Amino acid sequence: QDNGYARLLRRQVEEVFRDNRMIAVCQYNSMPGEDVVLMRYYLRKHNIEVKFVLNEIIRPLLSQSKYKNLLPLFVARNILLVSPELKAKEMLRVLKGVPQINLLGACIDNTILSRKGVENLAKLPSLEVSQGQTVGALALLPSQTSSLLQCGSAHLTALLDEHIRRLQAGETGSPAEPAPAQSSG
Amino acid sequence: KMASQIRVVLRPVKSIVVRFCPFESNVESTRKFLGCINHKKIQATNRNCEVTADVRHDGSEPLVDVMFADGERLIMKGANLTTLEMLTALGSRCSAKELKEEQKSKKKS
Repeated sequence: QDNGYARLLRRQVEEVFRDNRMIAVCQYNSMPGEDVVLMRYYLRKHNIEVKFVLNEIIRPLLSQSKYKNLLPLFVARNILLVSPELKAKEMLRVLKGVPQINLLGACIDNTILSRKGVENLAKLPSLEVSQGQTVGALALLPSQTSSLLQCGSAHLTALLDEHIRRLQAGETGSPAEPAPAQSSG
Repeated sequence: KMASQIRVVLRPVKSIVVRFCPFESNVESTRKFLGCINHKKIQATNRNCEVTADVRHDGSEPLVDVMFADGERLIMKGANLTTLEMLTALGSRCSAKELKEEQKSKKKS
């Protein structure tokens, strides 16, 4: 249809998909009004907005965009949970307390994920922790190599030190002991 | 809407599990069934009935698994059923059980 309201809704939906990194599609089963307000409040705290969508508006839009694979999700009543940040863990935690909303799938950073994918994403450690773990793993091999290379000369140095100490002890006290055998190092 | 027209009394029902893969194309009636079951009129008939949605991504068929309080189980495969058919099937079984319960309690008293 080309009436103004439909155009406005279409524009809003296009904006939503353009401006947000995380767009989660959930089935909406009827909920009492206060519960909807509470849920919106808790999600807003994590910068996640709740958007009610009409299938007739969103289906033609999606079929012509790169989000074609989200089309089968849009039957029955749905809502979108959108956020410019990736707050998968917090979103799942809030949704656990709302049994009437069922997460179907999400499009996060232009990647379409199933419900299991979102749960796995929530379990991943944060970016800084993963970077730290990668750096640690990469640094492990060179540090092992350097300690292996230094091992021989370090051992030789230790043996020579011991030898010197015994010689000095031998000068001050009893006669010099025979030098310890050279190690193969 | 449809849910308010069909009378489903959930008293004899212990739990309902609705399983579907949302990315498949045959899940519309099952999802609409889930929406209807959550309607306040139907939910009001039995607050203890747990309705859970099991969202998968493994290409399995859409399924409605109803566990009754007397141990009986009703499995409806939603791929080739309409929402109306599933609701009427559930509704008729529930009313049959209700009737049986009433007759049993009448016999006792």
